[in-house]
Amino acid sequence: MLLNNDRIFGMLMLVLAVAYGWGATQLPEPFGGNEVVGPSTFPSILAWILGLCAIYLIVKPDPSQEWPSAKIFGELLVVVVVLLGYAWSLDYLGFILASFACVAILSWRMGATVASAALVGLGTSVGVFLIFDIGLELPLPMGLLGGLA
Amino acid sequence: METLNFLMHGFGVALTPTNLMFAAIGSILGTLIGALPGLGPANGVAILIPLAFSLGLPADSALILLTSVYAGAMYGGRISSIMLNIPGDEPALMTTLDGYPMARQGKAAEALAISAIASFIGSFIATIGLILLAPILARFALHFGPAEYFALFALAFATLGGVTGKNPVKTLLAAALGLMIATVGIDHNTGTPRYTFNTLELYEGVDFIIVLVGMFAISELMFFIEAHAGAGHQMVVLNKLRLKMSDIIHVLPTAIRGSVLGFVAGVLPGAGASLGSFICYTLEKRLLGNKAHFGEGDPRGVAAPEAGNNAAANGALVPMLTLGVPGSGTTAVLLAMLISLNITPGPMLFQQHADLVWGVIAALFVGNFILLLLNIPMVGIFVKLLSIRPMYLMPIVTLVASIGIYSLSHSAMDLYFMVAFGIFGYVLRKIEIPLVPVILGMLLGPEMETSMRHALTISDGSWNIFYSSGLSIGLWAIAILGLILPTVLGPLLRGKMNKARQHEGQKV
Repeated sequence: MLLNNDRIFGMLMLVLAVAYGWGATQLPEPFGGNEVVGPSTFPSILAWILGLCAIYLIVKPDPSQEWPSAKIFGELLVVVVVLLGYAWSLDYLGFILASFACVAILSWRMGATVASAALVGLGTSVGVFLIFDIGLELPLPMGLLGGLA
Repeated sequence: METLNFLMHGFGVALTPTNLMFAAIGSILGTLIGALPGLGPANGVAILIPLAFSLGLPADSALILLTSVYAGAMYGGRISSIMLNIPGDEPALMTTLDGYPMARQGKAAEALAISAIASFIGSFIATIGLILLAPILARFALHFGPAEYFALFALAFATLGGVTGKNPVKTLLAAALGLMIATVGIDHNTGTPRYTFNTLELYEGVDFIIVLVGMFAISELMFFIEAHAGAGHQMVVLNKLRLKMSDIIHVLPTAIRGSVLGFVAGVLPGAGASLGSFICYTLEKRLLGNKAHFGEGDPRGVAAPEAGNNAAANGALVPMLTLGVPGSGTTAVLLAMLISLNITPGPMLFQQHADLVWGVIAALFVGNFILLLLNIPMVGIFVKLLSIRPMYLMPIVTLVASIGIYSLSHSAMDLYFMVAFGIFGYVLRKIEIPLVPVILGMLLGPEMETSMRHALTISDGSWNIFYSSGLSIGLWAIAILGLILPTVLGPLLRGKMNKARQHEGQKV
């Protein structure tokens, strides 16, 4: 197959190597003038190594691994969105609410029933909060529940 | 004699009540991490680092906690090998060969007990080896100049894939990626900002703990989702333990031989625990010949690889502590922890932080005893944990990992980075690019660049300095061998390991 995983990845890496190598040449000369080794020496070597490896992968790729079907890709996307949403809402919703939602949705997506997923989410978020915030004195955001404390 | 004094001093550090408590907590957590499906040792230690860090533990306690976790995870790995026929990590593969048949014959408890004893002997002998060998190697390493160090770092990357590694080009590519991530931020030598795109967050560079947790924990979650592995596996029933003294004496010679071999395999670059347990098993099989029933549930077939891989795990600490060059994924993670505690491993470690090093070595002994005590009577509890379904477990693990990252600087930005590196790790694993060299590249990058620049400054810009001494030529030669050998030996060895597994599988 012409469009093998390794080949596509190799091309991306080749682009990265060239961009990174070009970036190295653009670095300013250090104060004190033209020393033999500057901040760009090491990155230039790395760019060469990455570039050569990338070319090798393009020329001689390993057999492709199968990628998941569109359906599973959808599921993975849900996971990523949940995690990003968790990061985004943590400060606003507070640790307990955000963690409840995050754990419950993930567990549900992994095949638990809605009821048990909700139960695990509730137990974990409260339990972990008690252990870390109160037991180990690691401050976690309270968010919307802040008024209750 | 001097060593003995240091060791006594180390026990003084390790046996304080707080540190004893951390060793116990670490041992329990480690066994849990090793036993639970989907949580390898590297993964588990990675998740715990930011937590140990943000809880503000003193360096010796944090280090004792995490080395106990490391030792515990090696103990725990065998539980799923025996009960589920699923190796927790690669080194535990050989344990399934005789462990699972024993469990099927209703001797699961004996298999677990014998493997615990073998693990104990393996760790014990290897810790003694560590005590004898590490100071010698550290003294020797004082002769290393910057050029030799540069060669040594190259060697570390070249041999990281191990003799059983697959595609060395992919290892090299992964290492280059890691080193490139390490160059982001302000250059330590000149103060020039590099690849920061004028973003303030990038001036300090990318925190390797975020990359570590993202790549290991988040990508693991994604693999579980993809495989629909949420429901877990069928398990053998655990019987009541009937172990006689004679059973233990029966496996003793095997365990001791396995320990010595395993330790040597652990110290050598590129061999590692997988090869250690493989060599121990096959050698023992050949040695005992027809007198043993290997592959049909012989207790010695459990003892050999378990002693071997635990000894190798401790042996791998020798190059990590004395040279700052880890030989395996998990020791790379331990190195990450040392660096984040502002401790530079290497020959100077034994002089500057003698208390710490010897405290940790003593803690290995203490942890080992705790683990043996834990693992024989309490193994039933750990076995019960195997039946926790990943669909509940993985979200909880993800949550704990996120807390660790969030507590680093209380910013959502770090969590976004963690998710991004999780996706990146998932893609890399899909293309079969190993993750450990990426992490190692990030860790060793700054040191590697500094030693390169020092060497070139000494030689006034001449690149000849990198192959001017016998020592550095030797290191380069091993590095090149480390890259070439796997392409020749790798398929051969892997084929043999798989064949052994299939062959034994048919007999059951």
